Amino acid sequence: MSGPFRLSIPCRNKLMSKGSSIRQGIGIAFRLGTELVVATMIGALMGYAMDNYFDTKPWGILAGVIFGGAAGCLTVYRTAMTLQFDEEENNGDQTPKGEDS
Amino acid sequence: MKESPLHHFELHPSVHLSLMGIDISLNKAIFVMWAALAIVFILFMLVRKTEGRLVPTKMQSIAEMLLLFLRGLVDDFIGKEERKFFPFVAALFFFILSCNMIGLIPGSYTITSQIVVTGTFAIFIFMMTLFIGFGRHGLHFFGILLPSGIPKILIPLMIPIEIISMLARPFSLAVRLFANMTAGHTVLAVLFGMSLTLPWFIGFLPFGFTVLINALELMVAFIQAYIFTTLTCFYLGDVIKMH
Repeated sequence: MSGPFRLSIPCRNKLMSKGSSIRQGIGIAFRLGTELVVATMIGALMGYAMDNYFDTKPWGILAGVIFGGAAGCLTVYRTAMTLQFDEEENNGDQTPKGEDS
Repeated sequence: MKESPLHHFELHPSVHLSLMGIDISLNKAIFVMWAALAIVFILFMLVRKTEGRLVPTKMQSIAEMLLLFLRGLVDDFIGKEERKFFPFVAALFFFILSCNMIGLIPGSYTITSQIVVTGTFAIFIFMMTLFIGFGRHGLHFFGILLPSGIPKILIPLMIPIEIISMLARPFSLAVRLFANMTAGHTVLAVLFGMSLTLPWFIGFLPFGFTVLINALELMVAFIQAYIFTTLTCFYLGDVIKMH
């Protein structure tokens, strides 16, 4: 009995194994895009709220956008750094580390 | 004949109910949510029934594979001694996965394309991380706003940035799932509308694309559930370990 949804074993291993590059890559790609946009939006919204509250018309939203963008970049940077760190660890298991790193 | 491609996201009550003046009418989304819960429950009861066999059945091996994979996530991001979060993470993954998958059946409804649903998940998770953080670390939890090893002169600059990046977490969780599901289903609706309005000798082209996009949406349904759970684990691990 074999159902229509049976995956071949190598394919299954590729999708499910811990260090799967396809799954990780797609996951990271979907994550980072929204991270940047949402952080900027949150910053702008906070700045806008501050503007309305303290009556400092253009300055709150300006600072908010800049801080929000910085926060987004920081999140992306951190994610990328952990990713690179993981990759180095994985490579370290199989091949000796290069001198130039 | 002009129908908006966003038309199928609209919700209208199908059973009118009210409890003490509060409108609790049932609509399509609620029925689909119940169906999703029922599917997860019944599938796992079926798996549970075959427990203890020497040769695992097909269902059992799929369930074991997925659960081991989720346990790996919990171990990696939260830590081996924090396995008590595993049931929560697994329940979240299977619920979102079954909601996304049900949405792909033509004529049904994608409840994860409503920002109310994804937002509720995200806010609940955010509140949970705050409670766990303050419960574990007390007032030291504010230290999460100060990354270690930054010069003192940068502190007034870093604190607003860290606050924004902390507050962006629930929003990005909610918006990612909502936007991906909505976008995919809108594309499907547009293509299908095209194939209905065009004459048949061109109309078969968009129709073929709907089939392909449906396959892509199947992958997106799985990946979005996976990302949602990964990030939940990551945020929980972040407040437990504090950087």
